[in-house]
Amino acid sequence: MHGAHETTVPVPLYEAHRKVYPREVTGRFARLRTLSVWVLLGIFYLLPWLSWDGRQAVLFDLPARKFFILGLVFWPQDFIFLTGLLIIAALSLFFFTAVAGRLWCGYACPQTVWTETFLWMERFVEGDRSARLKLDRGPWNANKLARKAFKQVLWVTFALWTGFTFVGFFTPIRVLAQEVVAFNAGSWETFWIFFYGFATYGNAGYLREQVCKYMCPYARFQGAMFDKDTLVITYDQERGEPRGSRKRGTDPRSRGLGDCVDCTMCVQVCPTGIDIRKGLQIECIACAACIDVCDEVMDKVQSPRGLIRYTTQHALDHKPTHLVRPRVLIYAALLGVLITGWITAVALRSPVSLDVIRDRNSLFRLTDDGYVDNVYTVRILNKTEHERDFVIEAAGASPLTLVSAEHVYRVPSGAVYSVPLRVRRAAYDPLGAETIRITVRAVDDPAIHKTTDARFLAPAR
Amino acid sequence: MPPATRAERFRQLTRPARVAGIVGWASFLAAALATMLCFAFVDPQALGVGDPPSWWGPRMRMYAIGFFFFWFVGAMAAGLAWLLAHPTRRR
Repeated sequence: MHGAHETTVPVPLYEAHRKVYPREVTGRFARLRTLSVWVLLGIFYLLPWLSWDGRQAVLFDLPARKFFILGLVFWPQDFIFLTGLLIIAALSLFFFTAVAGRLWCGYACPQTVWTETFLWMERFVEGDRSARLKLDRGPWNANKLARKAFKQVLWVTFALWTGFTFVGFFTPIRVLAQEVVAFNAGSWETFWIFFYGFATYGNAGYLREQVCKYMCPYARFQGAMFDKDTLVITYDQERGEPRGSRKRGTDPRSRGLGDCVDCTMCVQVCPTGIDIRKGLQIECIACAACIDVCDEVMDKVQSPRGLIRYTTQHALDHKPTHLVRPRVLIYAALLGVLITGWITAVALRSPVSLDVIRDRNSLFRLTDDGYVDNVYTVRILNKTEHERDFVIEAAGASPLTLVSAEHVYRVPSGAVYSVPLRVRRAAYDPLGAETIRITVRAVDDPAIHKTTDARFLAPAR
Repeated sequence: MPPATRAERFRQLTRPARVAGIVGWASFLAAALATMLCFAFVDPQALGVGDPPSWWGPRMRMYAIGFFFFWFVGAMAAGLAWLLAHPTRRR
């Protein structure tokens, strides 16, 4: 044993990748995931085709710098809302992770969802786990060639359709469809269709669980949100061990065995290729396939379900579990405040924005007939979807007059209109400077307005 | 399983493909975020005073150039971080 140190064999830090052949699984959680796949991919593939008020319902129009989401239009000035949305999304991720672990990974992550559909296609063409294993090990005969080719056709078609849909969120999809059919789509559109298509094909067809294991940042830090009250998928060691096969109808306890029949089904269905019986592992994406398949086996051997189940560390330690706890309450409260705030802010958002900038060259100008003028540059941004006429009003402690050539400003949708504004007041009534309020108001809809404060300078005496 | 030796671990981490993968992926994520933030506030069509340089183009092209620029800068930072995080190799 002493010589062992000298003959240490270097072992690679990263084990060589072995292809995982997940076995098909049916059951409660598999149905839930299938539902989730249909709903999420349904939304993804259909959303760009919906219309709203004569335009695409959801369109992130980058060239025009505006985002359409159903009835709402977001301008670059509204970037704060996008930031808010991202913060809400991150916080919900924390919340759900604290409550029930990697729910996101198991049911909603695009990586999971697309991998699932690619697996469906693989199963459809090559058969279930054992058939796929046999096919991959077998020689390249006509059957293998035909099946592999057919699978590639399905994968590539689906991936390209995915890339096309993705680009359809950024450029009007109906126009894009006509261009693609006529083979004259723009170079950037074509590039991104192939780029996103290739990413889908590579990630969902080949990389699969490696994306979760090596590329995903969330997988690395999600453990920080876990505590002993978090619901995780766990093998009940106490009940299962010692594992071993047994004859049908024998009482495992009389033979000193636990409930685990060591059928390895939980390992075979695992999309990341781990053995859940070794405990919670970083690779586990909480897809619950092992729960479904183990329940099925437990039914067959007439043992109670739940040898592998959603449970908490506290429950396994026979301690009370607190689903409601400070961490969860804080996340929930923050989330509630942010969501309410976000909705309120979006609802109260003014469809017109107004900047008033003082003229830098002169503080004020006294006229011969006893008035004082201040000059400003007013910038009106029309954030509505239609061209509109606007008027400007100014109000202060004493009557103000606007001296300017035009009184109605026609601003196209999304345009910024800069106009010099001369505000006039009696020079000595009242004395000195004051803060005035400048309002811009749509002519056809007085509800569309925006007011901002400006400093009006005048001689003190 | 015997543990990997220090030298072996170093060799594994310095495999060019792995380094390129990690550096490229991390900087890709950073570039995506930076591009979004940058162009939310900056309209490439409304920049500065005077004539834009001759290679300046429409918004989509400037977005793309911006993205690749951020990717490049991010890759430099990630690559440098990787380089400095590892001890100097000694013979």
